[in-house]
Amino acid sequence: MKKLTLTLGLLAFAAPSYADKLDDIIASGTLRCAVVLDFPPMGMRDESNNPIGFDVDYCNDLAAALGVNAEIVETPFPERIPALMSGRVDVGVASTSDTLERAKTVGMSIPYYAFENAVTVNDNSGITDWEGMRGKTVGATAGTYEAIWLEGQINEWGEGTFRPYQTQADVFLALSQGQLDATVSTVEVANANVASGNFPGISVVDKAPMVPDYVALFTLREEYGLINYLNLFVNQQVRTGRYAELYEKWIGEGEPADLTIPGIYR
Amino acid sequence: MFNYTFQWKQAMARLPQMLDGALVTMQIALLSMLLGILLAVVLTMFRLSGIRVLAGFTKTWVEIARNTPALFQIYMAHFGVASLGIYLNPFLSLLVGITFNNAGYLAENFRGALKAIPDTQTRAARSLGLGAVGAFRHVVLPQMLRISFLPMTNQMVWAILMTSLGVTVGMNTDLYGVTQDLNALTFRTFELFAIAAVIFYVITKVITLGARLIAARLFRY
Repeated sequence: MKKLTLTLGLLAFAAPSYADKLDDIIASGTLRCAVVLDFPPMGMRDESNNPIGFDVDYCNDLAAALGVNAEIVETPFPERIPALMSGRVDVGVASTSDTLERAKTVGMSIPYYAFENAVTVNDNSGITDWEGMRGKTVGATAGTYEAIWLEGQINEWGEGTFRPYQTQADVFLALSQGQLDATVSTVEVANANVASGNFPGISVVDKAPMVPDYVALFTLREEYGLINYLNLFVNQQVRTGRYAELYEKWIGEGEPADLTIPGIYR
Repeated sequence: MFNYTFQWKQAMARLPQMLDGALVTMQIALLSMLLGILLAVVLTMFRLSGIRVLAGFTKTWVEIARNTPALFQIYMAHFGVASLGIYLNPFLSLLVGITFNNAGYLAENFRGALKAIPDTQTRAARSLGLGAVGAFRHVVLPQMLRISFLPMTNQMVWAILMTSLGVTVGMNTDLYGVTQDLNALTFRTFELFAIAAVIFYVITKVITLGARLIAARLFRY
């Protein structure tokens, strides 16, 4: 009898545990999101230093759907992957472009937002459209989709210089000072910075002819349960109109990018 | 808990690009060191000149170089001077920033080395007919450089490592800049930075060992 109890006890310990990340999040009662807070209007801070923005609300919605508390973990663009891999965050709600190259490393959801990109120039540069950037000194925020595109474009032209800066603020400072002739950033960021008045002598002149920058939520590549949940969640945000609501709240009037699949998902 | 599968093959394919970056890193460090030594000698001569304005200039330089972060010095060399209408490209900004830092630290090294050279040598040289500059150049300077040779290699190592701060001013051709670019492209963070760390380690190790060999050969008594 004693022996049997012991055996059963050992079996209970030895039995493999199937709790996945989704279970862990529900059990812990907290969803930790990596959010970039240097990327208005997606992620930023209000006057009392609280995180706000589209991505912050999106994380809060996700936590509410899971029935847990949301914890916003500020994560600069280059630190998104270390934050995930070292277990400091559960998911990234960080405007992460869903490139195939990156998807070899992390698991991406279906896109939850799409950016269009604009060309902003220093007024003294004489650039009037995106092709005017040929041969000029241009820059963008290191590690972003538009930076990768712009560097590729400069290489394709074979003339001009590309400079990545660490923060969006440094890019626009350099542009305003005249160290850069032009930059490519999301339309949202470009408009916000021109309107802010912090960077005199710059204007938005053109759209960049890029495939729209679709961004995805991300988590560990092998967490299928969580990725499935994220996909459904993104669909539900679109279906219920919450996506359009958040767009109006943070970006403003206008049409958000269409994230539906006709005949399948509204 | 560290949930990550290392893909060395994918990262190693980028090694040639990173080695090109390492060359740029060494180029900047070497240039900043040569310029830094020249400037530090001038600063030391200012200090010894007995002219108050010049000695004060040296003091101010050393104070700022040693008591503010190198990051701040490089940032000012790019964004700071640009507000005065002087545009330095990232390479030059980084070079100027590190050179400024090097010169400050080296001037302090030289001050320490000078303390080890007895004043009587200068006096003896002067009484043998050498001028003030001649005595410094022929008697004091060679000894000063010899005594501070190993501390100088320290500064060289520091210069190599400081090049990694160039990313803040838009530098993307040095080892750290290249690594960060590749990271954004592939998200292979850990492999790429591990490779970069090894390259940094090898460079600095070669420099310190090389310097020790050179010192052993040059400074035999």
